[in-house]
Amino acid sequence: MTVLLQATGVRVRLGRRDVLDQVDLSVGPGWTALVGPNGAGKSTLLRALAGLQALANGRVTLGGLDLHAMRPADRARHLAWLAQRGDVSGELTVRETVELGRIARLGLLGTPDAGDRTAVDRAMGLTECTPWQTRRLHDLSGGERQRVLLARVLATEAPLLLLDEPTTHLDAPHQVALARLFRRLAHDPQQPQAVLTVLHDLPIALQADRLLVLEHGRLRADGSPTDRKLQAVLAEVFEGAIRIETGPGGRPRVALALDDG
Amino acid sequence: MSASLHAALPMIDRADDPDASRRRRLAVWMLVAIVIGLAAGLATGPAGFSPSALWTDLQGHDATLLLGQIRAPRTLGAALVGALLGLSGALAQGLFRNALADPYLLGSASGAGLGVVLVLAAASLGGGYVSLSTVVWIERVGLVSAAFIGALAGVAMTLSLARGAVQTLRLLLAGVVVGVLLGAISDLITVASPDALRGKQAFMLGSTSFLGWSALALMAAGLALLLALSRRHARALDALTLGEDSAVSLGLDLGRVRLVLVLMLSLGTALAVSQAGLVAFVGLVAPHLVRRHAPGRHGWLLMASAGMGASLLLAADVISRALVAPEELPVGVVTAVLGGGYLFWLLRQRTSS
Amino acid sequence: MSLLPTPRRALLLALRMMAVLAVQAVAGMGLTAQSALAQAIVVRDDRGTEHRLAAPPQRIVSMLPSLTETAWVLGIGSRLVGVDRYSNWPADIAGLPHLGGLDDAQIEAIAALKPDLILASTSSRAMERLEVLGFTVVRLKSDSHADMRRSLDLVARLLGTPDEGRRVWARLMREIDAAAARVPPALRGQRVYFEIGGGPYAAGAMSFVGETLTRLGMANIVPPDLGPFPKLNPEYVVRAKPDIVMGEQRDLAALTQRPGWDALVAVRDQRLCGFESAPYEMLVRPGPRMGEAAGLLADCLIRLGATGRQ
Repeated sequence: MTVLLQATGVRVRLGRRDVLDQVDLSVGPGWTALVGPNGAGKSTLLRALAGLQALANGRVTLGGLDLHAMRPADRARHLAWLAQRGDVSGELTVRETVELGRIARLGLLGTPDAGDRTAVDRAMGLTECTPWQTRRLHDLSGGERQRVLLARVLATEAPLLLLDEPTTHLDAPHQVALARLFRRLAHDPQQPQAVLTVLHDLPIALQADRLLVLEHGRLRADGSPTDRKLQAVLAEVFEGAIRIETGPGGRPRVALALDDG
Repeated sequence: MSASLHAALPMIDRADDPDASRRRRLAVWMLVAIVIGLAAGLATGPAGFSPSALWTDLQGHDATLLLGQIRAPRTLGAALVGALLGLSGALAQGLFRNALADPYLLGSASGAGLGVVLVLAAASLGGGYVSLSTVVWIERVGLVSAAFIGALAGVAMTLSLARGAVQTLRLLLAGVVVGVLLGAISDLITVASPDALRGKQAFMLGSTSFLGWSALALMAAGLALLLALSRRHARALDALTLGEDSAVSLGLDLGRVRLVLVLMLSLGTALAVSQAGLVAFVGLVAPHLVRRHAPGRHGWLLMASAGMGASLLLAADVISRALVAPEELPVGVVTAVLGGGYLFWLLRQRTSS
Repeated sequence: MSLLPTPRRALLLALRMMAVLAVQAVAGMGLTAQSALAQAIVVRDDRGTEHRLAAPPQRIVSMLPSLTETAWVLGIGSRLVGVDRYSNWPADIAGLPHLGGLDDAQIEAIAALKPDLILASTSSRAMERLEVLGFTVVRLKSDSHADMRRSLDLVARLLGTPDEGRRVWARLMREIDAAAARVPPALRGQRVYFEIGGGPYAAGAMSFVGETLTRLGMANIVPPDLGPFPKLNPEYVVRAKPDIVMGEQRDLAALTQRPGWDALVAVRDQRLCGFESAPYEMLVRPGPRMGEAAGLLADCLIRLGATGRQ
């Protein structure tokens, strides 16, 4: 795997607590899902990988260069980050919001050209936002807004996408559509992207190529969703509330352990 | 040059955006309002709003003095002060991502007030508490420069207290602290010198009576500079609407951008306040009105707020001069009544719907 | 010798007189012309600015009530074309345009009057603007008796009658001394607390009214080193135990209600001088009615003396 992003011995301290401790991982092309119980530190890890969180210890490197030493403008060309909670003021139109993604390439002063317009159109197409591109964000529902913000990230055309809970607010059909999208982006023959998604949604997470299981700030497992050992760790980490089964075609399925014990 | 102009310019002529026509319409209305405001201002003198008196005055031989040196510059000055305040208000609201932010938040108003009080008090306390040579020096500085320097000093204090523009919340808190502190010092000085109190009162209420051509040149230069800088940073303000972290992830050097925005809004506020005193509400209401009736990106919003501010203050100035002619109402009182009234009405609409 | 001149002598006499008159007239005109040219009026105002006027100004605006009164007493008459909002004496000026205060002066209205002289106080943005527009603004301080005397001289010179200032000052001093002579000897040296409304601010010995009181032979509980109008801690006043309390009539009623103040001898024994607003204004305004003001103070002191209690 071509390693795009590497984290070594990452430790993050917030207040008096070690929110992340001794995290080592590498990210390359493919779809990786980061899962774990509440408070595991998933969002914090994603922010640290995006260069938005100061590290108490360890480093994160992007293509060999220390991420935190890089200028934000250089970082933005290589990775894009989607926030978990949209802190968005919502006054821009859908198209204008998605266009903001191009700042990663254009900077504050660059003139948008045809390539930029194509990237914006493509991003809106992938997330099915095109029909409402002239509507303002605050007029949209939570789910629709979520898709627009994702489109904004896709418009950056960054090789590495760090998405924090991109499927919240979305209904089942759209969740499935997104899962398919992540797979497509990750396996694109020309430009395979590295898509790292924090997901609460285990059924979707299990569709990813690779699973990272985080608990109490430590990485408990790192591997394929079909790996039995990983599945056992997963069940344990979720305190026995879930059960991983193998469905048709060998694909892992998650069931809630409501009637057991 | 034209390329970057195109990039930063509002895409007003986007056929696909229904709001584009609203923006066009607002732009036309504002232009009309400014032209009418300027004409009305020229026609309003000690006899109130009176185009016939204007005609007589134009033919009299004091026309150059009365109209050229007094009425014309103060009317144009009202437009410029309004534009500076509207622009600064839009910058503050974009920077702090809060529709209730106004340009006086960072200690500029209290700093300017302190500058004014110091000059006024020096004149009356001279020989007593303050040595006469200091008094002469202070008087030479003059009220306008003292207010300008005071405004910038207030912001500098806020920036140093917040240790740079790194965190928005810290900046806001520091602004409040500095405002209270400098206001308290002003009040202390006015206790020792009742003359200063009187002058401070006049400053706090705002007035366009003292604007001359040199003041205009200064403000026009400042406005031109700020408008140019606004175009460069409009996209940054747009990115900020996504949230601060998202803006950083897009490559924005947030600390530097914030610092530049703070300096821009301080310059605009300092220029306006030093010339016309503390005119209330224009900085708050102008961007608000633009967003409500013709929303768009910051490339449009910043310029339109300047235009809206100019229209509002021109109207308020004419009212302040015409209502109780030959006396004048302080223009800040008119803007407070109109601005406050508008916000009150708006709130009632929102809560009843 | 015959007292009745012969017709020829009478004619010669007449001719001679006419000749003398003619020469004197011509000489007189020449002298006036000379003095007008040679004696351009040069004054240095209280801001240190020197003003040169080719001739005594004929259209004067006054932006301070005390200066309005001073100018009136010095005979400005119809040369006064505009006053400020607060000028209210004498009644003759009621018909004049009132042009706002020092801070919100109506620039355009003042300019429309085309004044060749504006009298104002020392600091004001409006006056700066008028100066920039080319008007002559003479800035005068009027806080103390000394200021008053200087203003009298200066304004008199500006009006072209330089001796009048000295004469008016002398008259004022005579009036004050006459008032002082009427103060009952038993009351002399008693300590006065003069309150200026809204504070309480006290009129100290250094203030204008304080100086008048001193000339009348009274003492002040506020020494000069506290400045002209200190805002006192009420405790200070109670401790100082003034013999007489003076102030505006409507403030005195509230004053006696203040906590601890009923212990004051002055309050208990009603050693109070309350003045209605018009006379009060005259007392605290540093203007040319200070002689009359001194008289009012003396009247009150006499009244207090007559009640018998010391």
